[in-house]
Amino acid sequence: MDTEKIDEKGAVEELPDSWWYRVYVGVIVTTIIVISALGIFTSYFSS
Amino acid sequence: MRFLDWAVVAAYLIYVIWDGIRMTKHSGNVEGYFLANRSLPWWAVGLSVMATQLSAITLVGTTGQAYSDGMRFIQFYYGLPLAMVILCITAVPFFYRAKVYTAYEYLEKRFDAKTRSLTSFFFLISRGLGVGVVIAAPSVILSIVLGWHEVTTIFVMGLSTTFYTMIGGVQAVTWTDVKQMVVIFLGLSVVLIIILSSFPAEVSVADGLHLAGTTGRLTTIDTSFDLKERYTIWSGLIGALFLFLSYFGCDQSQVQRFLTAKSVSEGRTSLLMSAFLKIPMQFLILLIGVMVFVFYQFQTPPMIFNQVEAIKAETSRPADYQNLQTQYEAAHAAREQAALNFVTVNRQANEAATEVAKQNYLQADAQFNESRKNATEFIKTANENKNFNDINYVFPTFVIANMPAGIIGLIIAAIFAAAMSSISAELNSLATATVIDFYRRHFKPEATDTHYVFAGRVATFFWGIFACIVAMYSTSLGSLIEVVNTFGSFFYGSLLGVFVLAIAVPRSRARGAFFGLLFGIISVWISSRYLDIAFLWFNVVGCLSTVIAGYLISLTVRENTQN
Repeated sequence: MDTEKIDEKGAVEELPDSWWYRVYVGVIVTTIIVISALGIFTSYFSS
Repeated sequence: MRFLDWAVVAAYLIYVIWDGIRMTKHSGNVEGYFLANRSLPWWAVGLSVMATQLSAITLVGTTGQAYSDGMRFIQFYYGLPLAMVILCITAVPFFYRAKVYTAYEYLEKRFDAKTRSLTSFFFLISRGLGVGVVIAAPSVILSIVLGWHEVTTIFVMGLSTTFYTMIGGVQAVTWTDVKQMVVIFLGLSVVLIIILSSFPAEVSVADGLHLAGTTGRLTTIDTSFDLKERYTIWSGLIGALFLFLSYFGCDQSQVQRFLTAKSVSEGRTSLLMSAFLKIPMQFLILLIGVMVFVFYQFQTPPMIFNQVEAIKAETSRPADYQNLQTQYEAAHAAREQAALNFVTVNRQANEAATEVAKQNYLQADAQFNESRKNATEFIKTANENKNFNDINYVFPTFVIANMPAGIIGLIIAAIFAAAMSSISAELNSLATATVIDFYRRHFKPEATDTHYVFAGRVATFFWGIFACIVAMYSTSLGSLIEVVNTFGSFFYGSLLGVFVLAIAVPRSRARGAFFGLLFGIISVWISSRYLDIAFLWFNVVGCLSTVIAGYLISLTVRENTQN
């Protein structure tokens, strides 16, 4: 995944904040899913 | 260790040193030597961030911890993704756009030179001593496993890392970190596959997990709100959140990683890589420890994993030792039988019989644990070593005893890689703070790039030697390690507080930040003496004390006299 673009003058063009906020939400949601999956893993093999 | 293992270890060391040295051509100017000309791709920076955090003692210690106590340590990392998101919003753009070399340089732009120098000084002290511990801890273990003298291990690890870091600068650190992460992942994956294929034919991986789960070793969430308990979901989500914010956002050894990225976006992506991968990676490491536990249900584990201490005790009191060994083997045989019975019964859909087999297994496991505890107490008495604990020896001893030729070398190389990746980043950051925050700032502000790069190499060499000397003494002074770790936990939360004041509190002023930092450190020290709380909570105490004190002191500062 490329997170930057190079414009015609060769300067680095940063991705907009709106894009990053969607990524941050994705990180948090993924973390919740991972922790929940670990909880299910624990309870499945501990029962 | 056979010839093939030594060859693998030697090949690893030679390749890493060569790989680091060849980065010299990119390190001719100050920005190249300290920040890689801000040109590195996100994936290399991301791997470097993870490699820096994954020290050898994390690798060896957490597998041993999982073997004896299970996976509850994973909760420590639950706050990390949120910390990374917060840092992507705040620290990464602030530091990157300020064009600074060190995190503390930003504090001079925001506050004053005094605050910058104080925070950088604390960083140098805590990290300088800390890197000695990072070298010492695996050196003690490897020296016993490899049969080397401790000093030899310390200098092989410390000086080889110092050499390529000194020559190649941050480019050498980052690109060797990438290769070292590959070695670590390769080694861990191979070990896991071999362990899983070593179970008895009648025991599947799921059976092994059921055995581990029955003894509570698969616990990954503890919801009890107990401030004394070291690892709960709350200490992970709140206490560790503050620790990670401070470590990744205010500690130069990590800040310098993302400052080498090509852009703010690449710096953010490198941190988010850890946010996605850290918990699964730690799960893999802990799972290996748990699988070693399952493996030893069907093979007799050493009564004492630290063979040097075991031989010493056996020599001084042979009859007592043999008596304990006999009891230990009998307890293991009973547990093995109970485990096989539980595995067999658990497959049949008979709840009552399963419950009986489970209780029998748990009873046999408790008796086995009791016999091992007796053996540990015996070592403490026989060897007059009240701090004896062999958890950190579980994984290396298991590898040496059970892995095939070549794989042992790969794992030892992975342990070296984990240690060297942390040491190199820390030496490089110490040199950067020394040259940029002190030498260039206070002693020689106008000099050529060549001069500062030379100064950087001298500083790296100095800190490398300093770390090796600290490592030599810390192996014989166990309490020093505790002092260093305690000092670090006193400092981290308060350091975070200063950066919170700088970035998030517009009304804060230099005097508030300076005295707020000192107040925060004193608050943590008082808390550690009078409050019985787990160390992760000190980060919360330090940060909040610094922010509150810093803000209140700032209110007393007149606008026309400050900033």
